Amino acid sequence: MMEKIILGRYLPADSVVHRMDPRAKLLFIFGFVLIVFVANNVATYALLGAFTLLIVFLSNVKLRFLIAGLKPVILLILFTFFLHVFFTKEGEILAQVGFLSIYEGGVIKGVFISLRFFLLILVTSLLTLTTPPISVTDGIESLFGPLKKIKVPVHELALMMSISLRFIPTLLDETDKIMKAQMARGADFTSGSIANRVKAVIPLLIPLFVSAFKRAEELAVAMEARGYKGGEGRTKYRVLAWHVRDTGALLLLAVLAGALFMLRS
Amino acid sequence: MKKNNVRVLTAVGLLSTLSYLLMLLNFPIPPFPGFLMIDFSDVPALIAAIVFGPVAGITVEFLKNVINFIMTGSPTGVPVGHLANFAAGVTFILPVYYVYKRFESKKAMPFAILAGVVSMSAIMSVLNYFIILPAYTLFLGSPAMSGAEMRQMIVAGILPFNLVKGAIVGIVFYMIFVRLYSWTKKLAAA
Repeated sequence: MMEKIILGRYLPADSVVHRMDPRAKLLFIFGFVLIVFVANNVATYALLGAFTLLIVFLSNVKLRFLIAGLKPVILLILFTFFLHVFFTKEGEILAQVGFLSIYEGGVIKGVFISLRFFLLILVTSLLTLTTPPISVTDGIESLFGPLKKIKVPVHELALMMSISLRFIPTLLDETDKIMKAQMARGADFTSGSIANRVKAVIPLLIPLFVSAFKRAEELAVAMEARGYKGGEGRTKYRVLAWHVRDTGALLLLAVLAGALFMLRS
Repeated sequence: MKKNNVRVLTAVGLLSTLSYLLMLLNFPIPPFPGFLMIDFSDVPALIAAIVFGPVAGITVEFLKNVINFIMTGSPTGVPVGHLANFAAGVTFILPVYYVYKRFESKKAMPFAILAGVVSMSAIMSVLNYFIILPAYTLFLGSPAMSGAEMRQMIVAGILPFNLVKGAIVGIVFYMIFVRLYSWTKKLAAA
């Protein structure tokens, strides 16, 4: 049951994309998500596809990892594709089987929308594949820093998020251990009626809550002992540095956006 | 939530982890279509709300979705599903917290949970009609549903699903709450 969970898919390697500042990567993804919706014809989708392939190539990530990232959504992509093929009624009729007729417009729309999905997933998985989650958190904290002025506790949220990310493997191990201990006593988590499942989950959750609170207590004591006193004047171990390549990546994205707007029909 | 209280910060962090892990152990319930999944990730958020206050509960819901988004991404680019999950979580835990606080007794909890289930199902039906389903239409490019079709889908699918989901999560939370009651009192007081 637990093996199904992929934990932080970050793959340590060295490439231009890996070395980019996480802030630049986050801004890049945000921009990319917006401009993907600009594409609406063959030329624009071809350009987007070529651009995505270029980043994949630059990132030095092996294709099989990217494909593994696509697996969970492949069904959704196929579903949308066929939804369009069968239900969009535009253009000429291409084929007719019984009461089902397939229209040209439906096939084209289906291909475009699936492609859009595909590109979005590919680019967002590149972020998680080339950036450790903790850097993503640092990037988010820094990007949302200005919100501190309107009393949003950005530092506290980022701290809670790093704590949370840090303890995923720990609590996962613990869950696994408790499940095995209960299974050894005859508990059954994977089958049976809903009522049985609900009953089985209680003796799993209670020790988990107790241990989560215990760990939180220990961590708080350790942090206070080391003099943690909030975000004010705290220095950083990992310092983010903005390089020319980060500005370059964002400029490249701006050029792509310009080209898409020109080619758009 | 008391500001800068390190103990609260670490506890909310760990409860978010638990919430995220429970979110991954989701399963469909038979009569409903496969994309409506149920999970127990609201239970840690409810515990956080009861022990540390409503802001802590909302924070757990928020962090759970942010972490899930960072880890897996979203097929729509804009995280519609995550925002919907966050809205459902918040509309569930806030009524539970306020009704429970009003009476501050173990006996009030079933009514508090009932209020949470009703509020979550009602508000999510409205949100689905005006925001979530249209947003999916926009981002997935699926054929637009007419108002009547959406109403039918909400009344026949989403509303009963949310009621059942809320009830199951509520029962699990209640069973845990009863066992941890005196302990949470001690934690909240410390």
